[in-house]
Amino acid sequence: MKGLLKNNFYAVYANAGLFSIIMLLLGIFVIAACNAIPSLLIGYALSVMVGFSINAISGLGKECSSKWAKYKLTVPVKRTDIVKSYYISLLAWLLTGMVFAGICVVLSILLHGYPFDRGTDILILFTAGISLSLFMSAVFFPSFYLGGEEKSEAIIIISILSATAIFMVIVNLINLLLGSGLTTLQLILTAGILLACALLAFVLSYPLTILIFVKKEY
Amino acid sequence: MEPILELKDVCKSFSKSDFRLDNVSFSLPYGAIMGFVGENGAGKTTTIGCILNTMARDSGTVRLFGTEMADADIQMREKIGIVYDGDNFPGYLTAEKLAKIMEGFYESWDNSLFRKYLDDFHLPPRQKIKSYSKGMTMKLAISAALAHKPKLLILDEATSGLDPIMRDEMLDVFLEFVQEEDHSILLSSHITSDLEKISDYITFIHDGKVIMTVSRNDLDYHYAVMRCREREFLSLDRADILAYRKRDFQIDVLVADGNAARKKYKDAVIDHVSIDETILLLVKGERV
Repeated sequence: MKGLLKNNFYAVYANAGLFSIIMLLLGIFVIAACNAIPSLLIGYALSVMVGFSINAISGLGKECSSKWAKYKLTVPVKRTDIVKSYYISLLAWLLTGMVFAGICVVLSILLHGYPFDRGTDILILFTAGISLSLFMSAVFFPSFYLGGEEKSEAIIIISILSATAIFMVIVNLINLLLGSGLTTLQLILTAGILLACALLAFVLSYPLTILIFVKKEY
Repeated sequence: MEPILELKDVCKSFSKSDFRLDNVSFSLPYGAIMGFVGENGAGKTTTIGCILNTMARDSGTVRLFGTEMADADIQMREKIGIVYDGDNFPGYLTAEKLAKIMEGFYESWDNSLFRKYLDDFHLPPRQKIKSYSKGMTMKLAISAALAHKPKLLILDEATSGLDPIMRDEMLDVFLEFVQEEDHSILLSSHITSDLEKISDYITFIHDGKVIMTVSRNDLDYHYAVMRCREREFLSLDRADILAYRKRDFQIDVLVADGNAARKKYKDAVIDHVSIDETILLLVKGERV
């Protein structure tokens, strides 16, 4: 597993480095800017969480230009471990995105005060970032092995669009059920439902990806 | 003693192609190098895929070190080194980073041995693999395959694309590897001159079928080709003929025992047969 995780890290290392520098600079700008209208902060937090997740899944496609995917099947690792390593790497990069977003939000609040209407808005913000990332990965991993590695860029785009669509459908369904003007408790419930759905999709996609990958021939 | 690698009646078909591996069987003893020869598309890579479980075989058995290898048998894969033709590793890695990954894969990975190979082959450890030449990437793949001290090396067209000097260097490395009597190599190639230099056995594959497995000793000292005219050919005993090929005014006949043929057909012209000529006779000619 150690070798697989190192491999996944090196696959995204250059892109992640560049993305980190850009997000760091953008983060400084967001922190420095007045947060009276919090859209900049919201946009930053969402893009840093989803961006690091996209970076994590893009590593798979980079391996396909060589025989590395086939070579890895001949080293002492199980196929299930190969899939598991991608899920772990995704979670690690999502966590990195959350740390970036968290630091930015905390420093912005310390400098300019609390920009949101309610305390639960931060919870909703982070729930949205995490859910979008998890939905995207849940669509991407099985589709990647099912659809063929050579279509990885298209599959990434489809995964982002699908994740957004799933997210919007769930939010709209909740709004339909609970009506407008949600109470704090209802907002927490909404965040909980979103997170639970995203986690469920992420967890269920793991055995599905394994099921597809164990039959994959190279 | 059981062979290090044994294939029995391995079959593999593809839904989108007519090609199929048809009851492929051969065995590789310990301490030997087997050349796996066939034209492009003959089934060499598919056979290797079935050996290594990168492809699922339809039927038949593959025994490595005496047992069948499942996906969970990671200890068995510690003992196997692989080199594929072309880019084995992603271009964004360096040899140094590759070593760190491999160290995480193999318990027996020897970093100092890998460094020694990098030095011997003049491979810069911090240069990205994508900027290596084809020869350098092959040398790197061979270094990586040897650095975890495998017992079985499986080389799929590993010397193709290398210049003669590099190929010669690689062949020396392979010969050194089989100095250990429990080490073996399966070397798939269509560069028969390489196989003539180092192999102990040759397995010929054509159109998904193994045509023949023969020891180099037999090929060098027993197999022969008779150059016959039509009249002489017709008088030959069919039991002596393995394959024949008609050319303009001559028929070349592959026989398994050149010495016996010399005694039996005193006026016949009988020559030593090369691997190339054997392939041509078996593939292009008529097999009897």
